[in-house]
Amino acid sequence: MTIPNLPNPIDYAVPGFILLIIIEMIWAKRRAPEKYEPKDTLTSLAFGMGSTVAGLFVASGVIAVSLWAYDFRLMTIPFTWWAWIICFFIDDLAYYAFHRSAHRVRWFWASHVNHHSSQHYNLSTALRQTWTGFFAISFIFRVPLLFLGFHPAMVAFIGAVNLIYQFWIHTEAIDRFPRWFEAVMNTPSHHRVHHATNPRYLDRNYAGVFIIWDRMFGTFTQEVYDEPIRYGIVKQLGTFNLLWSVFHEWVGIAQDVWSAPWRHKLGYIWRQPGWTHDGSRETSDTIRERWQEEQAWKSLTSSSSAADPVAAQPQAG
Amino acid sequence: MIAVIAKLGVSLLSILALAWLAKLMNLGGDLRIRDEDHARALAQEAVFGFVATDMVIDRAGMGALLKDAQGRQMLLRRHGAAFVGRLLDRRLEARLDQNFLTIGTGEKTFGSITLNLGDAAQYWAAGLRHVSA
Repeated sequence: MTIPNLPNPIDYAVPGFILLIIIEMIWAKRRAPEKYEPKDTLTSLAFGMGSTVAGLFVASGVIAVSLWAYDFRLMTIPFTWWAWIICFFIDDLAYYAFHRSAHRVRWFWASHVNHHSSQHYNLSTALRQTWTGFFAISFIFRVPLLFLGFHPAMVAFIGAVNLIYQFWIHTEAIDRFPRWFEAVMNTPSHHRVHHATNPRYLDRNYAGVFIIWDRMFGTFTQEVYDEPIRYGIVKQLGTFNLLWSVFHEWVGIAQDVWSAPWRHKLGYIWRQPGWTHDGSRETSDTIRERWQEEQAWKSLTSSSSAADPVAAQPQAG
Repeated sequence: MIAVIAKLGVSLLSILALAWLAKLMNLGGDLRIRDEDHARALAQEAVFGFVATDMVIDRAGMGALLKDAQGRQMLLRRHGAAFVGRLLDRRLEARLDQNFLTIGTGEKTFGSITLNLGDAAQYWAAGLRHVSA
């Protein structure tokens, strides 16, 4: 099989990223200056550059693991047009699995939280990439493609294209696309939901390119217009300190594992973010449950007041 | 190797240029707490379920202290073009200087903030003693 010499598509995309960020800044200047914050932008972009540097250090390790896994492939899939298309779909499904795990398992979250820790949602946020993905062994989610027989070079190329697609959806400058597009593709509207900390949106819309995975696996939520979105993480960082922003969740895991009773130590690694053995913190599930109870109570009281407006009035004494 | 270093150098210059451009364009604006409703909404955003029953807002709108019915106290402060909040616990550090109350949460990276609370400063400083007790 002839292996083509594939370029890194991200190298070619970077000038486009910069240009689009400038265009979005001009939009923000005219429409909503608070959508950008210079220090936040600098932090996000420094994340991106640091992630590239980290990638250089671990590249040989990733290549070695990939070639090892490829040696155990079920079949050899050639570099033909249909293989690219199938690889793209399966890779996007693998991305969904990775991304869902990255929000539900604290070990993976410690790396992925970097992408979510900005309180802003703009194109610079897209470049807020982790430095510790290799340490978190996030690449294992792509290993099944190698076992199937897709060549590591093809998987790496497709992964980069997937990442490039996800750049442009990090914006509030675009509202919604036609229904057919929103039904199939991940869009700015769907991804705003994903970055939101509003209880109704927590841990939703994990898609990379195709939103169909969320619709299939029950994790899809539509953006609503009557509730402003708040971005970031449940406990906002409150600092632009780059190193703390990169490593804070790893530090948190280390502290929790150190101080937890022996039988609960692993829980602080593999359970969902916010889990504690004594229930002293909240997870996204418990926050959503409280929100749902509140909504149910509101609808109950509003329906009872509609049925009997006098009875629903607060009674004196 | 030289190509890699050159690429990183260009990346560094680009990110500095973009951040400078954002500053030059005055993006981010000058966000302040407008009134009690605004502070209440920010507190609810910071901790879901925190319904403020009492509050004091910094004269310049840079931060606020809030209490809820459960007796919890929250510090709100500006962070860039957004606000962040923390429930105060026994790690808090507070210092009163006439109308100015300086509060730290004990989180090193969160820092501390000095609020101009006017005549209410003493009352709120006294309230914080219950948190740190």
